[in-house]
Order: sequence, then structure tokens, then C-alpha cells
Amino acid sequence: MEHWPIGVAILSVLLFLGVPIAFALAGVGLVGTASIIGWTPALSLLGSAFFDNGRDYSLSVLPLFLMMGNFVVQSGVAEDLYSSAYAWLRHRKGGLATATVIACGAFSSVCGSSMATAATMTRIALPSMRKFGYPDQLSTASIAAGGTLGILIPPSVILVFYGILTQQDIGKLFLAGIIPGVIGILFYSMAVRITLKVGNIDLPTEPKLPLRDRLRALRKTGGALALFTFVMGGIYLGVFTPTESAGMGAGGALLLVILSGKFTVNSMLVVLYDTMNTTAMMFFILFGALTFTNYVNLSGMTIDIQTFLSAFGDSRVSFILIILCIYLVLGCVLESLSMIMLTVPVFYPIAASMGIDLIWFGIFVVMVTEISYITPPVGMNAFVLRSVVPDVRLGTIFRGLGPFVAMDIVRVALLTLVPSMVLLLT
Amino acid sequence: ETLTVANWLPPSHPLVSDVIVPMTEQIAEATGGEVTANILPAPLGPPAAHFDFAVNGIADITFGVQGYNAGRFKTTNIAEVPFLGDSAEDISVAYWRTFEAMLADAGEYDDVKVLGVFTHGPGQVFLKDGDAAAAELLDGQKLRVGGGIVHEVASTLGAVPVEGPSSKAYELLSQGVADGILFPYESVNFFKLIPQLSVGVDVPGGLYNTSFYVVMNKAKWESLSPESQAAIDSVTGEALARMAGQMWDTVDAAGLAAMEGQVTVTTATDAQLAAWTESLSPVIDAKIAEVSETGIDGQAAYDMLMAEIEALAAE
Amino acid sequence: MSKPPSGNALSAVQTLGRSGVTLAIIGAIMLVAMMGLTVFDVIGRYLFNSPIKGAAELTEILLCAVIFLGLGAVSLREDHVTVDLLVDYMPAWVHPIRQVLTGLFSGVILCVVGWRLWVYADQIGGYNGSTTNLSIPIAPLGYFCAICTVVGALITVAIPLKRFFAPPTA
Ligand code: NA
Ligand code: NA
Repeated sequence: MEHWPIGVAILSVLLFLGVPIAFALAGVGLVGTASIIGWTPALSLLGSAFFDNGRDYSLSVLPLFLMMGNFVVQSGVAEDLYSSAYAWLRHRKGGLATATVIACGAFSSVCGSSMATAATMTRIALPSMRKFGYPDQLSTASIAAGGTLGILIPPSVILVFYGILTQQDIGKLFLAGIIPGVIGILFYSMAVRITLKVGNIDLPTEPKLPLRDRLRALRKTGGALALFTFVMGGIYLGVFTPTESAGMGAGGALLLVILSGKFTVNSMLVVLYDTMNTTAMMFFILFGALTFTNYVNLSGMTIDIQTFLSAFGDSRVSFILIILCIYLVLGCVLESLSMIMLTVPVFYPIAASMGIDLIWFGIFVVMVTEISYITPPVGMNAFVLRSVVPDVRLGTIFRGLGPFVAMDIVRVALLTLVPSMVLLLT
Repeated sequence: ETLTVANWLPPSHPLVSDVIVPMTEQIAEATGGEVTANILPAPLGPPAAHFDFAVNGIADITFGVQGYNAGRFKTTNIAEVPFLGDSAEDISVAYWRTFEAMLADAGEYDDVKVLGVFTHGPGQVFLKDGDAAAAELLDGQKLRVGGGIVHEVASTLGAVPVEGPSSKAYELLSQGVADGILFPYESVNFFKLIPQLSVGVDVPGGLYNTSFYVVMNKAKWESLSPESQAAIDSVTGEALARMAGQMWDTVDAAGLAAMEGQVTVTTATDAQLAAWTESLSPVIDAKIAEVSETGIDGQAAYDMLMAEIEALAAE
Repeated sequence: MSKPPSGNALSAVQTLGRSGVTLAIIGAIMLVAMMGLTVFDVIGRYLFNSPIKGAAELTEILLCAVIFLGLGAVSLREDHVTVDLLVDYMPAWVHPIRQVLTGLFSGVILCVVGWRLWVYADQIGGYNGSTTNLSIPIAPLGYFCAICTVVGALITVAIPLKRFFAPPTA
């Protein structure tokens, strides 16, 4: 056993003392790495982690989707969209929260990035939900949880990555992700209801609007629908890739601002300053997380896990349970893609030797990774939300996420007991 | 002594399982267990950072593609130009011999101990659809390319280069943003692109190659005993280049076999070949001139490489 | 940031402060350039069969510059994300000293990062590291990031210290 558990413990203490997440991760990562490979190489690695990962083309979607979200809000289209959704759902308790879960699922399944979804949708959804009296706890949790669905619903960068890592058919993995993704949406809608029940939250409902008024409310959604069709259509017709859809979407949203007559240099500056600010916050957390991952990687954690797993013989159920626990624990401190890179090479040969279907296993791994996005203390989606709306406490977000995490665990249990639900479409 | 090997590829990649892993085993065996290796389970950074990982002692042994560090290596040009040959093994062994005899003098690798340089199998043309024998096969086709020479080859042949890392190739092709790709057989198979493609054109000699390195931290190398150094030298260098070349040839053959029934592969027509040879000849000359900028005789190195490849192919 | 951006009523200077406006103008140009690169690359590729050469690597450079420039903005507003789960339950007198200590910790880490970015940029400059297709030298970007990081470090340390030593009425 190496000293990485000590590193995890020190990190947790620093985090709870209120040290900014980015620097707690980077500091513990640096000292831990230095204790393994020496100070000079560790310092070099720190420079590389901050500079090389900042020039990653596929991460350019983050600022661009953020920009799109900010423009959509600026143009007033987001508000129109939510008032029209409200017109349709005002007689249903928590209807807007459910609608938000679905919207986040749809958006993230297209853009493929959980963090980009959380960033964009917070901008779009949160102000409107506040306007209609939804408590922050429920609104932020719906957005953070809804955003995780996209890595399961195809296209999914993480599934492509898993497919290449384990040499599985990517098409089959994509098909296998659909049913668990849809179940995820259903279960999250149930989590919304549970939140309302358990939290004893009384959301005002209004009488159902006559169909004519509801249809009239749809007229206001023209701008949002046009943008959505443009981004989705562009991807499905192959005019641009999901990565490029961020830049195209931002361009389209800017056009909406101009058409709405709300374009001023002044407001543009404020919006773009905001985008830059949030981008920096997110990336520094990412750099810190990667520095910490390097420490864990060098510390031989995977060998420890392998030894630990082999001690449990060949019972499939205990293997799955242990892996679930390992991901829940690791997901508390590691960034998700690096978690997959660290663990999947260790787990999948064992899974294969136990006769576990590797397509099913990929979906399982992605689902437990989704959970790690929304669990404290390191839950990337919660951090992203918090960096977009600093006036919401992280504690509020995590408390709101409780029922969603619980439903996630139920979903994982269901798909473990009935694996055919995953493999039905493949 | 345990050497840390940095790895940015999935463990299932043949470059890891069939080259790096056997290399570490051979080092352990040759040194009688004195020097063993520990391959890291996950990457410490993006592929492009790996050469400096060895320079700075972050890991003891690293491998990668010189082309990821644009501007840094000019001598790799001679091993990446079009029409070198059909066998990665021959090209790799010839490349190593040329490297030892001439290219090392350029000083590009002075900060590290070089364990091996080698190349990938020849790059071919793959398209979603089209008439393989058409004279204007590549005209206006959007081809996914990495950086460097492939980009120049694609645009010289009239294609529209679509930039993107190889990990994005699946996305670019499946979305229809790219109409095709320039890749060796192995990579098409490894990145799961076969279902996206239907036409393959085998270009004799290949349209490009990719040069790889395996290097070791210099201080770590100097800390080893002369016996260990000699033992490591005996299983790396040309032996490593040969093993890597053989591996690429094997996986290229497997990639080609996997295409059966899904991608129709034909050999480029004489007319296509003549046209491409003519338009690519200035590209080759420019690349050789770049090698000469390092102070070594680029043309002489290229001639030596071609002569060695020819000799090896005749064996 | 706590309020949704509604710059119409207030001038940008009032909302962002003077140093904020300078940062905002530079950042805005870079972000719009990033967006424009994608838009014109796609339009060029789709309509005219001529994408922008090096669009991806220009995007990478702009992304990196925006991140490190943004560090200044984050530091000015003390916007770094923290875990506030326990902090909320600590007594009020703890916070000024806690903020000085976490500020110092963050500042030290940022200084180390800035120093290493400078060293790394030097190393990249040493072998003329450049981008793949346009051969833009990378080292200057590294120096820029290093400077931004050190400036960010100074701001991060200075703000809580200033508050700590300021007269309570201020
Ligand atoms: Na998706
Ligand atoms: Na987590």
C-alpha cells in the first residue's frame, strides 16, 4: 500500500478548510508527486499539466458553449422558452424541474460534455426557475444531474474512449447506452418528485391553461427552436462536428442577440468577461484535478486496487459491488475522464475473465462515472454550476443532489440485476 | 533498478502490448533482472508532452511521435515522405541505421538516450465512397489529417484537409464532416473506422509514414552500470526498430483482413500513381531541404535510407 | 457574476471596474476570434471547399490565452470555487484569518505554477517548438501564461491581506 490514501485525506482536509479546489488539488498533487519522483521532475510535470492541457482543442467547447448560453440569456430567448414551458407545465408540481432534466439530457447528449451542459444550462434555466419560485436546491440539482445523462446517450466521447481502450464495438456501445439513458431521465423525474415530497417544498401550481393559450405560448419559442434546430441539424447533417457545434452555436446565439435588438457593446463586454471568468475557474480546477491524478497514477494506486480485487475471489456480485464502491470513492476526488483512464485498464480484463459482457460493463462504468460528477466533495458538475452562479452555496447544490444520487444508485442496481435491459438494442 | 515507463496509449494498443512490453521484458532478461520496468497505467499528460517527460526525468522511458512537437525534429522528415516502401520493418531498420550513421549528428536528441526510432506502416487512402480508379479520386474530398506531412500531402493532391486528432477521426467520419482519411490499415481498424468507409486505395510505397521514438532520461541512463548499459543496447536500437516494424506490418495485415467485405481495397492505378508521384516530388524535395537545415546532408541521408530499404527488401 | 449579465443599465466600467474593462476588452476579442474561427472554418469547408488552415491550433492558442487571462478576472473577484460545506458552520471570527491563510496557500501554489510555466516556455523556446500547420512559436504563449499566473498570485494574496489589515469601518 502506497501513501496515496494519506494524500486523499490531506486533500479532503484542505478542501473542507475552504482552500480553493483548484489549488488544494494542485498542491497535494505536487507534493505527492515530488515524494515519488523527486522535486525537479515533479515541478516540471506541474508546468506541463497547466500548459499542455490548456491547449487541448476538444476542451475549446467549454468557453464556446458558455458563450452560447450567455448570448441565449442576453437575447431573452431563454426566458421566452421557460415562460412557454411554464404555460404548458404550470398545473404540474415541479414540472419545470422535470422539463429542465429533459432539456439538459437532450443538450448534453448532443454536445457530449457534461461540464459544458451544466455551464450552459445553468445560465439558461436557473434565472427563469427562480422567477417561477423554484428553490435553488431543486433547480441546481436538476441541471447538474440532467447534465450527466449526455455521456450515456450517444454520441458520447467517454464511450468512444472506453471502446478504444477495451476494443469493443463503438456502435454497439452507443446502442447499449440508449435504454439506460432514458431510464435515467425517468428516474431523475422521480427524484424531482421525491425532493418535493421529502423537502416538503410547496411549489405554487396554477390551473391548467386552455389549449389555445398554451399553443399561443409556443409562438415565443421560435428563437430557441431555430437555434436548437441549427445546432442539432448541423451535427446530424454532418456540416459540423459536436466539437465545432459549440462555436457554431455561439455564433447563432450572437445572431439571436443582434436580431432581438439587445446588442450593445457594453453588454457584450460584460457577457464576454463573464465567459472568460467562468472558463478560467473551470480550467484551473481541471488542471488541479489532472495534477492530483498524476500523483495517484505514479503512486501505484491501480496495483493496490488489483491486489484488493483479487482477494475477493471470483464472485461476480461482489466484484460489481466492490467496483461500484471504488468508483463512488474515487469519484469523490478524481476528474471523471482520468478516473476511467486509470481504472478501466485494471478492471476490464478481470471483468472479461469473469465472463461479464464488456458492452454491459462499459455502460456500467459510465453510469457510475456519471454519479461521480455529482457527489461531494469533488463533483465536477456541481463545481461548474457553482462557478456560473457563485451566490449559490455548494452545500445547497449537493444537498439538492441527494435524491438524484439515490435514484442513480437504484438505476445501477436495476441494470445490474437485469443486464438484458442494457443489451436489448445491441 | 526499476524504470518508470510513461504511456499515453491504451494498454491494448499493439505499440504497447507488442513493442513496449516485450522491450521491457527483454531489458530485464538481458540485464539478468538488474533493470526492470514499470509501465504507468494512465497517461501523465497529452502525447506531445512525452519527449520532455524523458528530458526532465518525469518518467525514465517514454515513447511517442516526433511530429507532435512541431518545429523540434527536422530529421524525421526523411522517414515520413511519400513512397518509401511497403514494409514498416524494412523502413524502420533502414531508418535506425541512417539515424545512427547520420541523423543523430543533427543533435536533436542530445538531451536523451535514444533507444529506438522507427516508423509505422505506409499510409493509404480511405474514402466513404467514390470510384477508386477515378483520376480525380481526391479532388475536393474532405480528408481527416493530423499535422505535418499528411496535411501537405492531402492538399497537394487536391483534397480538403480537415484537421483533428486521431481520437476525433471517428467523430469526423461518422458525422460526415470528413469524406475520408489518410491512414495505415492498422489505424483504420484500431480507431474502429471500417464501418464508416467503403473504398480503400493501396498506394505502392505509401503516401506518408509516421516516425516514432523510444527514449530514456539521460541521467538515469548514465546512472546505470556499463554492463547494464551494454545489455540494454543489445536489445534496443536496431533490434527495437525491427520488432516495432514487424509489429506494424503484422497489425497492418490484420487491419487489411478486417476490412474484407466492408472496404473494397484496390491498388492505385498507374495513371493515379504517375500523377501523384509527379505532384508530390516537390514536397519530398522541400522536406529533404528541411533536413539539411540541421547541418547534416539531407540528400545523402535520404539516399542512404532508400538504399538500405532497397537492400533490406531484397533480402 | 452573481447577477445575470444585464449590462444595459449600467456601463461596463461601473459593472467591471477599470482593470476589469481592460481585461474584458482583450478577453472579448479573443473569445469572439475563437468563435469566428469555427464559424468561418465550417463555412469555408462546407461552401467553398477551403477551410481555414490551422483553425484548430489557433483555437488552442486562444483557449489557453483566455484561460490564463481569465485567472486575473477570477482573482480580482475572489471567485475561485471552494467547498463551503463546513466553512459555513465555522464561527465568524475564524474567517478573516482563514481567508488570509487560504489566500497565501493559493498564492504560493500560483507562484510555483507561474515559475514552472516560465521554465517550460523557456524549454519549448529552446527547441523552437511551434504549432503544426502554421509554425507559430509556442514559447511566447507560455511566457504570457506565466506572467498572468504570477499577477493572479499577487492579487489572490493581496485582497484578503488588505481586508485583514484594513480598519473595520472601511
Ligand atoms: Na452524448
Ligand atoms: Na464526485
